[in-house]
Amino acid sequence: MLVRSHDKTFEEVIEIQAADVEAALDPAEPDGVYRDSRECAALAVLEGGGKLLLSPPTPRPKKG
Amino acid sequence: MEQSGTTALLQGAVQDLASGVVSALRGGDHVTVSGAIGEDTPTANLVLPAVRVLGADLLLPRVLFRSQPDLAELAVFRKAVESFPARADAAPAVRWSHWAMRRTLRRFEAAPDGAPGQDTAPDVDTDWLEGAGWQYLTHQLAVLAALAVPGEACAVTEVARSRPVDVARGFVRAVRRRDWQQAAGAGRWLTLLDGVPAELGLETGLDFVELMGGGDPRVALQIQAARVMRAAGAVA
Repeated sequence: MLVRSHDKTFEEVIEIQAADVEAALDPAEPDGVYRDSRECAALAVLEGGGKLLLSPPTPRPKKG
Repeated sequence: MEQSGTTALLQGAVQDLASGVVSALRGGDHVTVSGAIGEDTPTANLVLPAVRVLGADLLLPRVLFRSQPDLAELAVFRKAVESFPARADAAPAVRWSHWAMRRTLRRFEAAPDGAPGQDTAPDVDTDWLEGAGWQYLTHQLAVLAALAVPGEACAVTEVARSRPVDVARGFVRAVRRRDWQQAAGAGRWLTLLDGVPAELGLETGLDFVELMGGGDPRVALQIQAARVMRAAGAVA
């Protein structure tokens, strides 16, 4: 009987955690947090001035 | 977003496992998970859920380095597969991750005649990715980065193969959003794809992701996996 009780507890734990497991396996995309200048600098150092698409977008002239 | 206590504990357990995989991918010890199962500690019950969340990547070092997991390691992996089956109405990512674990299990479980087990067809399709925008595509591929394994193609791999530029765009977007886990997963896929724009600077990008996000073992795992596969000249 002790084994059965232990199994039941285990099943309950599994059941409780199944939703957490599923949520972890299908996470929503987190909100974006954009890079600051320190990281841009780190990237520039890493790249050494070569070609890389990770640079900030080129400023565009304002209309009018 | 605030995490529940259970969620935080689970994520911690997943990170612990991921650390072991990173160590193994770097040539260190193999992953140790079996010892915690029998322990009478509050976190012992988190081992199987954590194995299920980390998924097929738990045995990635065995796959990439072509070594055989020990019986205890395989038993824990199998127990996680059996304990957390994917419901028929579960999200495609959940079902594909379960299939990836089953595929890995079959790979290492010899058939009665000693021959390696054969893959069975996935019970989930890729309809949810067909025509998906590049942002969503990249997010989903990153979630399913465990499927990015050289020489082990599947329908998700085919979708990724058909859209290397979109995945490259998604990689850049993830970096700019500081979503290191998505960036690392996308980078792992890109390592396996043909047709990735050279101007992406993938290798430098992976270095940057590791620099910024490598403190999270789940990020480090994807980066290290990409490096091992890249070094081996792997293609999907």
